[in-house]
Amino acid sequence: MKRTVAEINQRIKDGDVVVMTAEEVVSYVQSEGVERAAKEVDVVTTGTFGAMCSSGAFLNFGHSEPPIRMQRVTLNDVPAYAGLAAVDAYIGATELRQDGREEYGGAHVIEELVAGRAVRLRASSSGTDCYPRKEIDTYVSLNTMNQAYLFNPRNSYQNYASGTNSSERTLYTYMGKLLPNYGNITYSSAGQLSPLLNDPTLRTIGIGTRLFLGGGTGYVAWEGTQFKTNVETRFGVPMGGARSLATIGDMRGMSPEFIRAVALTGYGVSLAIGIGVPIPILDEEVMRSCAISDEQLFSPLVDYSVQSRNRRPIKHFSYAELRSGKVELFGREVRTSSLSSYLKARQVAETLAERIEGGEFLLTEPVAPLPADRGVGTLEVRSKEEAV
Amino acid sequence: MAKRKFLLGFSPDLVNEAIVYRLVKDYDLKINILRAEVREQGGRLLMEVEGKAGNIKEAVRYLNEARVEVQELATYVEKNEERCTHCGMCLSICPVEALTVERPSWRVRYDAERCIACGMCIDACPPGAMKFRL
Repeated sequence: MKRTVAEINQRIKDGDVVVMTAEEVVSYVQSEGVERAAKEVDVVTTGTFGAMCSSGAFLNFGHSEPPIRMQRVTLNDVPAYAGLAAVDAYIGATELRQDGREEYGGAHVIEELVAGRAVRLRASSSGTDCYPRKEIDTYVSLNTMNQAYLFNPRNSYQNYASGTNSSERTLYTYMGKLLPNYGNITYSSAGQLSPLLNDPTLRTIGIGTRLFLGGGTGYVAWEGTQFKTNVETRFGVPMGGARSLATIGDMRGMSPEFIRAVALTGYGVSLAIGIGVPIPILDEEVMRSCAISDEQLFSPLVDYSVQSRNRRPIKHFSYAELRSGKVELFGREVRTSSLSSYLKARQVAETLAERIEGGEFLLTEPVAPLPADRGVGTLEVRSKEEAV
Repeated sequence: MAKRKFLLGFSPDLVNEAIVYRLVKDYDLKINILRAEVREQGGRLLMEVEGKAGNIKEAVRYLNEARVEVQELATYVEKNEERCTHCGMCLSICPVEALTVERPSWRVRYDAERCIACGMCIDACPPGAMKFRL
């Protein structure tokens, strides 16, 4: 069985396309077999909804009268990077408000804009002959700005380590609140619904792939930062962080249902984003990958009380075990928590399936593939000579 | 038998009074202390009280006469349903399983009846959906 993206798009236009979510397809393949499923189903939709710290938005405010070349910019008191042309800025999700309090940051500004609210823009400049204005204090919203689009350097990590804490005090980490003495385990993946776990070698996903981003439409812009392929696999799937996507998409059309600021006490602010990638069932092999279930997907467990980048996994748990709510660790029952929302991940995959079935969302072929062989380097304190 | 939750406030001069003893002995109440603290400004005691409705009423009158501030609480902690993303971060944090996940919907449910007001979920909740009412 072979199928092309062009054929699938024709079926979408004809209203004949058959779409299933990556969760539904698990039991379908179990009962009907891969061959039958590959023949019947044209597209499998995936979904994830979790904190993705490496996210942010490019904004263009338009020119004031008289014009200003903005050098320092804040939005609701959160600093944005303005080392670009006069009225362009980038606001990062984890940037904190100037008072340094953890409850509000760039992610909140992004969520407010997506929700249609106005945010306070303050900018200053030393003034130039062509841009004489030195200060401006005003309000902007998605309605007033020329461009407002998310450009996220690293989203939708293929897989991720789960966290626990062997120390005697509670740890506040980006993996949430970790109770003392292995008091709990936290994990963050949609598992069997997660985009890159369903196409583990990225056969169908590449630069230019159209996807569901924050409730609107986005695209794969590039490989995600820290993209790596040399990770141990089981059932053909990496057992830890491996590939990731840089994504881009217009904030207009996004929804606060799928763009949500989160605060991780003791760590800071992050942005939870709903992302869904449609996988065209080009052949049986693609279908086999999509049929992977939580029982076959594993997350390494690391001890966050070890304050080093070299944390050795204590153990691997399957997402089925983690999702059951408790696992056994060192002979004791330990409760688990998910940082990403499975309910929202499912909503993403279902919404994307509806859009494809409704003819509103066509599939794309990658413009270029993402790297097939990539490792990740470390940062050392080096001399200028050693660095080249 | 009725079951009610109260927050008691004591001025510093009342901290040495054996109030809980009186509630048990004189009013035949079953008391479950959920939270207790003594500070410079006095003390606070959060408790669940079980007993005959009439006895509870009498006990509240006694407390009022003893100049103990009495505040009845229906819920200590509130969950903002708009804000909750149903991630489930709270599930392994809540010590009494007042927060549970409904399957297969994966919706996180909060049962205020079971909550003991420890507040551990509040700084653990990423979208900030859990808040103290105190």
